[in-house]
Amino acid sequence: MAVKAFSDEWAKQFKDEVNASSVYKSAAKGWKWTVGLVVEAEPDKKFPESKGVVMDLFDGAARDITVGTAADAQRCDFVITAPYTRWKQVATKELDATKGMLQGKLKLKGDLPTIVRYTKASQEMTECTTRVAVEWPDEN
Amino acid sequence: MHDAGGGRVAGRELESASGDSTSPSGPAEERPGHLPQLVGKGREVKYADSVPSAFASMLGGLIDANIEKSAAKHRDFDELGARVGIWVTDIDEGVTLDFQRGSLVVHNGLTPERDITIRAEADTVMSLSNLKIGLFGMPIYYDEVGRGVALKLLRGKLRIEGMLGNIATVNTVTRIFSVK
Repeated sequence: MAVKAFSDEWAKQFKDEVNASSVYKSAAKGWKWTVGLVVEAEPDKKFPESKGVVMDLFDGAARDITVGTAADAQRCDFVITAPYTRWKQVATKELDATKGMLQGKLKLKGDLPTIVRYTKASQEMTECTTRVAVEWPDEN
Repeated sequence: MHDAGGGRVAGRELESASGDSTSPSGPAEERPGHLPQLVGKGREVKYADSVPSAFASMLGGLIDANIEKSAAKHRDFDELGARVGIWVTDIDEGVTLDFQRGSLVVHNGLTPERDITIRAEADTVMSLSNLKIGLFGMPIYYDEVGRGVALKLLRGKLRIEGMLGNIATVNTVTRIFSVK
């Protein structure tokens, strides 16, 4: 059943998908930093307020994934920021996250060598988002 | 020449500031050479364009962080004099890395007179940064990442123009690039 984009239910399903992924478990071995996703508001897309997804990831597992404010996400060790539409493109496989970062469509803040070292883990994490059935606010 | 300080690109931290894929210089594959202003603030990695593209910021930031963390990579950086182009074929963006024995100028797009030019998809470019370095500073091509890179080279999905006469340069660039 589809869940509302960037809702608590979405966060729970996303976390379950990450923890069910053997690829992620193996690729993210040794990862010990928090990751924040800032989803910038786009009122014309029925996404009126920015949100922040806070991911507590540790050694191949998602200990917690919660949805809060953009400020919550900005406090994480790594922060990826993009408008709502871009995140929707990532979650629907219209935009590859790696390409998006190289093009500046997704803005990354954090220690670069670390994130490059875990490219495969971040790609699999993106895959996990695509496995969650989502109800997008601008499609209702 | 532009110091990318101010948080956009620092040695260890990167914040890519470009909001869109279109950099001021445009994604044109070949741009006429332009002379960066010779202004230095002591930083080893500088940018030729007033607004570095996101890709330029990422590569410059990555190299800056790598040489800061590793004395061996810093030695390579101090000894390397070469112009290296990198063109990402699936996003039509590229950079030229002008290594000047102890400093680096990163240009948006490809500029003329390059010694080597690497052309590959985004994933492959990231894989190049994940190559392990083995004995005698040679990249390792027999582990999973290395095999993937070697296969792409064989299949033509990774092209390195100018490689034959510049094997040592390719290896040095790979070492500086590698986060391993």
